[in-house]
Amino acid sequence: MVLALRGASVVLFLILWEWAARVPVSFNFPTPWATLVALFALLGSGALIQATLTSLQSLLLGFGAAVAIGVPLGLVMGVVRPIGRVARIYLDLLIALPTAALIPLVILSFGINIVSSAVIVFVFSAPFITMNAYGGVRDVRPRLVEMARSFDVSWPLLFTRVIFPGALPMILAGMRLGLSRAFLGLIVAELLLSPFGLGKLIMASRSMFEHDRMFATVAWTLLLAGLALAALARLETRMLRWRP
Amino acid sequence: MAAVMSAQMRDAEAPSAEPVGIAIEGVSKAFGPVQALVDIDVNVRAGEFLSLIGPSGCGKTTLLKAIAGLMPVDAGRVVVGDRVVSGPGRECSVVFQDFALLPWATVQSNVEFGLLLRGVPAPERAATARRAIAKVGLAGSFEQAYPAQLSGGMQQRVGLARALAVNPQVLLMDEPFASIDEQTRRVFQDDLLSLWSKERKTVVLVTHSMEEAIYMSDRVVVLSPRPGRVHQVLEVPLPRPRELRDVRATADFARLVDGLWQILRKLQ
Repeated sequence: MVLALRGASVVLFLILWEWAARVPVSFNFPTPWATLVALFALLGSGALIQATLTSLQSLLLGFGAAVAIGVPLGLVMGVVRPIGRVARIYLDLLIALPTAALIPLVILSFGINIVSSAVIVFVFSAPFITMNAYGGVRDVRPRLVEMARSFDVSWPLLFTRVIFPGALPMILAGMRLGLSRAFLGLIVAELLLSPFGLGKLIMASRSMFEHDRMFATVAWTLLLAGLALAALARLETRMLRWRP
Repeated sequence: MAAVMSAQMRDAEAPSAEPVGIAIEGVSKAFGPVQALVDIDVNVRAGEFLSLIGPSGCGKTTLLKAIAGLMPVDAGRVVVGDRVVSGPGRECSVVFQDFALLPWATVQSNVEFGLLLRGVPAPERAATARRAIAKVGLAGSFEQAYPAQLSGGMQQRVGLARALAVNPQVLLMDEPFASIDEQTRRVFQDDLLSLWSKERKTVVLVTHSMEEAIYMSDRVVVLSPRPGRVHQVLEVPLPRPRELRDVRATADFARLVDGLWQILRKLQ
């Protein structure tokens, strides 16, 4: 049933797209078919694969660092309340900040290379990952901590057996949110800052008025992001089997 | 269920530790400006089943936490066995009203939890936990279930098994049956009584049910509301084992419950 509805929504979307391309909204607006053809051409030429590999480097570097730093930081903030109270002000600011505004600063500091794309990816995703880890610790039921204390629990065991597993659902949800933010950051960085990877391909196609290629690259990026998010969601369900 | 439990009791493990008494001496506790407990003096005999009852807000749970070492007191002291309580100790296990099970851990791991925290090695932990699960009548197909897959009554049996697994001398129960439906509760109360008569543990039960207090206890301590003081201590001279006769249907039982009600009514 859900599957049928989803399928129908995809068909409807393609029809609307086709219609919009024929009206035409703009003569530059490619049809779904033209986009698909361009996509296979790009895949065949190897240009898309090449760009994807470059972009994935920035993405993994930035997102990996965001997880490696954000999760522990959020945990510390949750466990040591004074640190949490101070640090969350900065986190709130970082989340509210129009992150693209940081790009000139990043270029000045890191230069034009894939590391600065990774830095942008990091800045886009890390605040959310940190915030969720922090919230996860604060969400741990106090009664479970009390129960562990009644057995005279040591600090390391309280953390590894109660606090961390209690925070895990929100940590994983934060990683999923962070990953979608990471893709956003990646494309923003590659469009506005360092001409590498998928962003460069989008820019290049646009400047050549090859809008079918541009659309194909955008669609490809969406597909990558969708696959990565689905994989993370699967991991989440597996790790949280206990949830009813 | 009781029959299942007695069958499994025969292949029991090492004899449980000798029960110890609890001395509560002049205990007072305030939360900010609110005086919760004032000058509480109660002696719980070794192996006794004692209930704490009183109107809500009389501090009965606070007193239980003081015995458990989960809450420091402002004045006076609690002595469990020969240890002056200054924090959680090995004599006591707590059973919580909301079960306090780890939702991400299986029944087996939940029951092993106390043993894990006390550094018991894994194989021994597993065996001891299995025996505790059998004692509370859950053995068989539930060890690998998660708490969310169990009914409230079964979850509390897991909570009890976790408390028993560390072989405590004192069992502290904070309204353990309050969130369990009536039919399940009666069976569970009987199972607890038969377990208690075999295991010889000192039990302190916080309850707001007069029937439960009379049915289960040797003595009932009635606390007065804010600030909590010991209002009266009631002896319950009903014969044991009560779970095997229809004690609830007797005139003596009705008279004792009514007596307790007359005391509590004046306290409201």
